[in-house]
Parts: sequence; C-alpha cells; structure tokens
Amino acid sequence: MRAGAQGARRRLLKGTVALSVLAFAATACTTDNPRLGLPIPATEQGKRVLTLWQGSWIAALTVGALVWGLIIWAVLFHRKRSDQLPPQVRYNLPIEMLYTVVPFIIIAVLFYFTARDETYLDKVTKNPQPGQVTIVNVTAFQWSWQFDYPQYHTASIVGEPTSPDAKNKPMFEIPVNKKVRFHLVSRDVIHSFWVPSFIFKRDVIPGAKSGQDFELTPTRTGLYEGRCAELCGVDHGRMLFQVKIVPQAEFDQFIASHKGSVTQ
Amino acid sequence: MTTITSHPAPAAPSERRRTSKGRVLASWLSTTDHKVIGYMYLITSFVFFAIGGVLALVMRAELARPGEQFVTNEQFNQLFTMHGTIMLLMFATPLFIGFANVIMPLQIGSPDVAFPRMNMFSFYLFLFGSIIAISGFLTPGGAASFGWYAYTPLSDAIRSPEIGGDLWIMGLTLSGLGTILGGVNFTTTIFCMRAPGMTMFRMPIFTWNILLTSILVLMAFPVLAAALLALEADRKLGAHVFDAANGGAMLWQHLFWFFGHPEVYIVAIPFFGIITEILPVFSRKPVFGYIGLVGATVAIAGLSMTVWAHHMFPTGQVLLPFFSFMTFLIAVPTGVKFFNWVGTIWRGHLTFETPMIWALGFLVTFLFGGLTGIILASPPLDFQLNDSYFVVAHFHYVLFGTVVFAMFGGFYFWWPKMTGKMLNETWGKVHFWLLFIGFHTTFLVQHWLGAAGMQRRVADYAPAFADLNMVSSIGSLILAISILPFLWNVYITSRHGKKVTVDDPWGFGNSLEWATSCPPPRHNFTAIPRIRSERPAFDLHYPHNEAKLALMATAGTEE
Repeated sequence: MRAGAQGARRRLLKGTVALSVLAFAATACTTDNPRLGLPIPATEQGKRVLTLWQGSWIAALTVGALVWGLIIWAVLFHRKRSDQLPPQVRYNLPIEMLYTVVPFIIIAVLFYFTARDETYLDKVTKNPQPGQVTIVNVTAFQWSWQFDYPQYHTASIVGEPTSPDAKNKPMFEIPVNKKVRFHLVSRDVIHSFWVPSFIFKRDVIPGAKSGQDFELTPTRTGLYEGRCAELCGVDHGRMLFQVKIVPQAEFDQFIASHKGSVTQ
Repeated sequence: MTTITSHPAPAAPSERRRTSKGRVLASWLSTTDHKVIGYMYLITSFVFFAIGGVLALVMRAELARPGEQFVTNEQFNQLFTMHGTIMLLMFATPLFIGFANVIMPLQIGSPDVAFPRMNMFSFYLFLFGSIIAISGFLTPGGAASFGWYAYTPLSDAIRSPEIGGDLWIMGLTLSGLGTILGGVNFTTTIFCMRAPGMTMFRMPIFTWNILLTSILVLMAFPVLAAALLALEADRKLGAHVFDAANGGAMLWQHLFWFFGHPEVYIVAIPFFGIITEILPVFSRKPVFGYIGLVGATVAIAGLSMTVWAHHMFPTGQVLLPFFSFMTFLIAVPTGVKFFNWVGTIWRGHLTFETPMIWALGFLVTFLFGGLTGIILASPPLDFQLNDSYFVVAHFHYVLFGTVVFAMFGGFYFWWPKMTGKMLNETWGKVHFWLLFIGFHTTFLVQHWLGAAGMQRRVADYAPAFADLNMVSSIGSLILAISILPFLWNVYITSRHGKKVTVDDPWGFGNSLEWATSCPPPRHNFTAIPRIRSERPAFDLHYPHNEAKLALMATAGTEE
C-alpha cells in the first residue's frame, strides 16, 4: 500500500516534469511550426494565440495517444483466449488516485497559460492618442458593416450584403505595427466581428455597456477577409467585409482620400 | 396473474398475429407499462432522428459546392434551426427517456415506474409538443429560422415575425414539460422502488446515470420553460423582458445556456451509462472502480451546472477565468471515466459482438471530442473557434459520438431483452463500419474548416473552403446510407430472427434485467435473485465466483 502510493507519487512527479517541459517547449513554438489549420496570424496577439494553440494540441494529442494506445492495446492483446473468467479486478486505489490527480496537473498548466493569454488579449490603452492608437468604430447591422475613424472625421464606409466571392465587400484600412482599437456597436441583433487572420472574434451585442472594445497590433501587411460569425438572420452568410493592413504612409493617404469625400 | 399476454416487438408487425391491429394499437396508445412506453419513446425518437438526418443531408448537399444550389438562405436557416432542435430535444432527450423507461425499472428490480400514468402523459406531451414545433414547416412563413438557441433580439417579433417561431416556442415548452415529468418519475422510481437489497451503491451505473440525468433535468428544463414563455410574452403580449436596451440580449443567453449546457450532459450521461453496461459484459469483468465512476459522474453533473457561460466567451460580457477553469475541471472526472472504461476492458477476455464494437467506437470517437473540448475551454482559442465549423465538428464528435454510438450499442445489446430476438451480427458490423467511416469523413475535416475561418450557419462560403466541404458532404452520404443495413437488420430479425430462450443471451450480463425472461413479463420479474453486489445477475449465473469474492472480502483488503 505504502510502496504503491510512493510509486504513484514518483510517477506523478515525472508526469509533472514532463508536462512542464512540454509547456515550455510549447511557448517556443512559432509560425514556422505547423499551424494546425489556423491562418498565418496577422497580429501580435494572433501570434500569441497560435502558440497557445500549438501547445494545447501537443498536450491534447499526447493524452489522446496514451488513451487511444491503451484502448487499442487492450483490443489487440486482451482478447478472449480461454473459457476461464479473467481476474475480477474491481478496484486499484493507487492507479485510481493517479488518474485522478494527473489530469488536475495537466489542466492547471493549461489554465495557467490560458489565464496569462486572455489577460494579454484583454489589454486596452487608457487614453488612446491619435497616431499612437488608431480607433475604428465598427457598426454592425442586418446585413453588413459600417466603419468609421472617429479620430479623423472621415466619411463612413458602409457595406451591403455580398456573396463570398464578390469584389465589392466593404473594406477599411489600418496601419501596420501600431495599435488599433476596435469599438463595436450593433444597430439591431447580435453579430460577431471576425477576421480569421486576427485569430480573434468579438460578438457585437446590442445594448451592451461594456466589453465591446478590444485592441490589436497588426504586424503583417495584406488584405484579409472578415465575416459575421453570429447568426443574424437571412443574409448572415453575406455579411462580409475586408480589412487591409498597410504601411503608415499608405494609411495616411487612405484617411486623406476619405476626408475629401465627406458628404454628411 | 398478468393481464396482458401479448408483447408485440417494436417494428415487428408479424408478431401481431393474435390480435387485430387496431386492438394492439389501442393497447399501446393507452398502456401504462413502462416497457411499452419506452418502446414508443424509442421508436418516436428514432423517427425524429431520421427527419433531422434528412434535414442535415439537404444542408450537406447545399454545402457540397460553394454558391447557392438547392435552397435559399432563409430555407437554409430553417434547416439548421430545426436540425439542431430535432436532434437535441426530439431525438436525444426522448431517447434517454426511452432507454431509461425500458431498462431502469428492470435494473432496480421494480415492477414499473413510480407514476405509470404520468409516464404515458409525459410521452404525449413530448409527441404533440414536438409535432407542434416542427409543424412550422407547413406554415406560409416556414419553420423557425433563428437557430436552435434562439438568441434575442433575432428571435423577437420584429426580426422573426413568422408563426413558425411561435410554434417552435410553445411546442418546446410543451415537450419540455413532458421531459420534466419524466425526470420527476425517474427520480422517484430510483429513490423509492428499488428491490430489497438493491442499495444505492449496488445500482448499475446506467441507473446511477439516469438518476443524475433526471436531477439535471429538474434543474435545467424549468429554466428553459420560463425563458421560452417570457420570449413568447415578448412576441405576442408586448412584454419587454428581452429588450436589448435593458440588457435583454445577454439575459436570454444566460437563461438559455443555463439550460443549454446541462442539456448537453442530459443527452450524454445516460449514454455513458449504456457504454458502461456494455463494456463489462464483453470483457467478462466487473466495472473497474465502480465507486470512483459514480463519483466522477456526480462531479460531471455538478460541474455541468457551473459552466454555461463558456458558450459566451466572445461576448466580452462574462468572467472568463471562472468559467474557463470550471470547464477545464470537467476534464478531470471525464478523464476518470475514461480510465474506468479502459480499466474495465484491461486484461479482460474481450469478445467483439456488435454492442461491444459500438462501445469501442464510442470510446475512440468521444475521446477526440473531449480533447477538442479542452481546447475550446480556453477563451483565447475559443475566440477564434467559437461559431466556426470547429465548434460544429466538436459537438458532433461529443454528441453524435455519444448519443448515436451508444444508442446503436444499446439497441444491439438490449434488442433480445426488448423483443426476444437477437439482431444479426454480420449486418450489425456492416452497419457499424459504414457509420464509423461516414461519421469521421463528415466531421473530422470540419475542424480544419473552422480553424481556417469558415463560420457556422451559412449556405454559401468562400471558394477556399470548397474541397474540405466536398469531403464532408460525401461523408454525410455514407453516414446516411449506413442506416439502411440497420433497418434491414431489424426487418430480417423480426421475420427470421432466432428466438432467445435464456435470460441472458450474452452470457455474462451483470444487472438485474439479465435475470428475467426475454422479453420480461408484464411486471418484469416472477422472482428476484438475491442482490449482494452490483452484479446480481452475474452472481446468480456464476455462484462459484461470488463465493470466491466473498472469501476475498472477509480475508480483508483495503477496508
């Protein structure tokens, strides 16, 4: 009994060490490693999520391989070979304790990284200044988007429902390597602002008093697709947009060209 | 002694020779026999399974290629709304009630459930409630189209004015009442009607799971009923419960998921129970770690009431660390269950009759759903994955993996007990492998689609997602075809199936249902064996083994 518990403790310790190694290895993952289905992240924050994603999959697949292995092992090697009943084992306390405690340790490690990264994703600048943080007001409505730059008093960019391969999706630009603050507003029902390449989405809740702001730092120039992710009615699937991450000079041009066309 | 002598098998018309069809029908429709009511639940929910499956096939046909082919956006919204509603509330939930009705009283050595007439009443509430909810398809505006979770304000009278929405709300309220009464019935039966010697810790795991599920029903379904009635009051009586201006959008989400999360456990825990009944029989061993397994299931049931807001991570309106941690915690008792299952088959003498194959298929499939569940429990990852096809893939792995695999496992396992005939083994295996391949082809690729950016609930998608969607659609066709061998099997079994003459055709049954005839008499038992452990039927059939165990126990082990 005593020896069993000690053995269990030793194994547990080994498990913990192995897991921490795994976790540290996970934090070293980069975009060069397999992205396991995720798009190439276009933001600083997205890179962090990609790393968490890779680390979580390593942990998950390790556990999965162990359990699948045990099942397949039993199926292959513990088949019926005689008419005698097998030993009628009902309990084995050390093993039962082991398989209760080890999952606790695994989820504790996963939760640590989760908590660290969700705090990081939720960070917003206190007094955002123009030039330092670009604010984009995103207004969702059935079934398209409106984009405004309140710091620059530009004309609104207003979209219409489009098909996924259409060329006329509403498009807005943001500068690369500078923080961008998104402020979400819904005019009618719940929508969800999702740019898959940001590795992030946030629901747009009508009437919400908080939680409708988030900040990202784009790091990769290019044109990215955006979609509404929350069912919002008939044309939910046609509620599409595009976002272009551009160098600062190009962004300034974009702002200037939209200032000239103020009509309201 | 018994008044009713004819026990027609479900879907076996040839059995009904002795009485006229009308008389059989009348006796079924007015029965209070828990087994017959159970069969009615099983048959009805299987019909709804087929209807929900056809809706899914239409969706997969539409999604096979980008662009719009067969249905309009509005029709597509109706399809997935009713597919989700049917599969969860008209198939999985009543299927649990069906299995519980047929098996649970047998397992505790009871002649019937506590309230036999209320049992029948529950069935009619479920049947007519469900018919009302899907009758929206016959109205000019079509069925409800706001998704099975009916988020306000989309589901209010302005955005969804069609009558289909009202039919959906009131139909679900009615059928939900049936479910609540079922929960009352099972809880009372298990607490009050166990045979002498059947202590709580000698109950089969399936019965334990029915007890815990029934308690979850009692906590979750009244909340749904209240929310639905308030929504209907908003729609028809001019109430303002869910006005977005006053935070109504979030209020609905909280109420809905306070029901919705326990609901997914309501349709999972009973089916875990079925698996736990099958594995020991075909391993010729007792359940490994029985008490730990009960404890794990209690923990899962308890935790399932505390994690509802993990469906709402991207709203930015919920306390992420709390709900994330509670969700991670569920992995612990679920892991314990897995190791109990593995421990049960470990060093057993495994044979691979059809029920066992289904149980192993469940283990392999559900494990992957559990792993993606842990990934989704992490808010930073969920921000990307929520409302994408990754979530669709995840919950089909956990729900289809549990409900459908365990349902067929349970059908093949208890078919002789229910009908007195064994289903054909060869056709059973053809059925399994077709379904297994079809299922994984359909849903595995959806993980990639979701992670890469394909959102849920759309009839059209970007051309980049075309290939994987085609794979998924082909898989769904195989999945649909796999039901045909099963129906054929049921038909040939009813025609030519071998009659079962023994109490336990599998040879190593543990729980009490294997200590009575196939099918059992009207009040289940003519005599009840002594109940000295959690395996009374096994003890009865292997008395020598029981004596050996008793010796071991007196020799003193842990306690």
